[in-house]
Amino acid sequence: MAAARAPERAAPEPRAAAAPAPREQARARYPDSTGFIERDGVRIFYEVYGSGEPTVLMLPTWSIVHARIWKMQIPDLARRGRVVTFDPRGNGRSDRPSTAEAYAEREFAADALAVMDATATDRAVLVTLSMGAQRGLLLAADHPERVAGVVFIGPALALQPSIPGREPVNNFMDRLDTDDGWAKYNALFWRRDFRAFLEFFQGQCLTEAHSTKPIEDAVGWGLETDPESLILSEIAPGIGDRQATLARIARVRCPVLVIHGRADAIRPHAHGQELARLTDGRLITIEGGGHLPNARDPIKVNLAIRDFIRGLDGGS
Amino acid sequence: MVTESRTSPDRASAPSDGTRARQPTRRGLAAGPDSVRIAWEEFGSGSPAIVLLPSSPIIHSRQWKAQIHFLSRQWRVIAFDGRGNGGSDRPTDPAAYHDDRIVEDIATVMDATGTDQAVLVGLCVDGVWRAIRLAAEDPGRVLGIVAFSVGVPRLSPVPTYKTEHSFEDELETDEGWAKMNRHYWRRDYPGFARWFFSEMTTEPHSTKAIEDAAGWATDGAVDVMLADREADFPFDLEAVEATCRRVRCPMLIVHGSEDRCQPIARAHRLAEITGAPLIVVEGANHMIPGRHPVLANLLIRDFVKGLGQTPGPEVAR
Repeated sequence: MAAARAPERAAPEPRAAAAPAPREQARARYPDSTGFIERDGVRIFYEVYGSGEPTVLMLPTWSIVHARIWKMQIPDLARRGRVVTFDPRGNGRSDRPSTAEAYAEREFAADALAVMDATATDRAVLVTLSMGAQRGLLLAADHPERVAGVVFIGPALALQPSIPGREPVNNFMDRLDTDDGWAKYNALFWRRDFRAFLEFFQGQCLTEAHSTKPIEDAVGWGLETDPESLILSEIAPGIGDRQATLARIARVRCPVLVIHGRADAIRPHAHGQELARLTDGRLITIEGGGHLPNARDPIKVNLAIRDFIRGLDGGS
Repeated sequence: MVTESRTSPDRASAPSDGTRARQPTRRGLAAGPDSVRIAWEEFGSGSPAIVLLPSSPIIHSRQWKAQIHFLSRQWRVIAFDGRGNGGSDRPTDPAAYHDDRIVEDIATVMDATGTDQAVLVGLCVDGVWRAIRLAAEDPGRVLGIVAFSVGVPRLSPVPTYKTEHSFEDELETDEGWAKMNRHYWRRDYPGFARWFFSEMTTEPHSTKAIEDAAGWATDGAVDVMLADREADFPFDLEAVEATCRRVRCPMLIVHGSEDRCQPIARAHRLAEITGAPLIVVEGANHMIPGRHPVLANLLIRDFVKGLGQTPGPEVAR
């Protein structure tokens, strides 16, 4: 009698922030090389998959997840080129620095440049997700010689007014008299029940039907960091307000692709539309899609990235 | 290219059918000895042919949606809707669901598609037992069998949770297997379908597989399900085992350790009787091809390749 493995039944896990990190699942593809860069005493873990041109650098998004957020892109993109990923400061195998300054956008951008140097990557196509748009924009505007093009997926930039119902987010460090809905986006709540916040937030990110697996994945990656690190990343300096963002966008010269879910409940589709317009980029709308189309519509996203990269070859 | 259009004027409503990974190269309606028309589809080319048997009338041929596009890259694949669902006719006379009729339908579709011989792939009673019967009774037509979730009646006792509630009587509860009840079916057949496929697909992250199967069930009709339920199973244990012993073609048995429909004892017994290898899928419930498609596809592929048949032109009938 032979045996084969089916996924295990989901075991109830303790609802504690200190729960041990889950064992990593089998990967479709493993890195060909890995390493650390170190800046100001903070170590950043990176991985390299495949070979050839161009290099596609998958930037980390918010430290609520780590580089496995790209698990559906890596095996596909690495068939045709070289893919570099790194874990954000605050999650995965990268360090968890203990000051908010260490989580500033400029630090993530500097990490990206250091990883490019360490992997002998002169120039790369950047792929960003959500918050990663900010560091991607910094790199494209301030280091154009290193950036062949940028893909912005569900970009989180200060381009549009905040969404009604998100007001509790403005009192992130304050004690609120409710835990309902977006009131969970609160430092005190994170300290009290980090998993409940992660489940709420990832549920907002992954609103499509049949998303139980990507939600479980993302909540698991969230549990690999801790509330204090994520609080620091939340209050860290970004790239500024709408005016500062517009000024940076105006300096972007490389080709841009924006992929945005029509039903994105975190950053409305209008953000992506505006970014595409301002950069003369192409906008691909995922009808019915939420905030993480890379996880929920991976084939569409992978093909869009493939075509964008092919277009760069033809244009250069 | 679709060479023949499928019509089924007496069909209550069109089956739900999302975008497909692969469209059929040919489709048609075939009528067997009792004139009930069976809707079939053919995909790809290459020998041997693979016939995917329906688990009907509860669901129809889309149950193989995760196999068809993969297998039809190298082989000619034929899928058909069992009588009572999909594009096939929907008799409501229990006699139309006699075991012999269901076995005849396999041969009818093979005849209509010019398929002398084929590998049969099936799930549960409708797939496994009927494949075994055809292989035992007409061995020249069956090159091999992949038997998922062994549904061979009588090979082990029926689990008690299936028998503790009456099917015929009005019950005081609708909980769990009490939904396997004529009156509940009449009251809320979609509710039964959702519950049943949830019970058959308890693996985590199965919401899509459950939604699909419940949708195929509601493409069908409760009258048909009741007629099928009333059809006799005309074999005792001795006859069932004798039939299994007559199978001479290669067979692969695949069964989930958590199967809530068919006891795994049936798979062990079938392996014992036939000497066929048994793959136990740890953690899997009943719907292995739908819920574990990569595993199922690779098992079918390796089985077909292992038949050692040299590729060549098929003999046309």
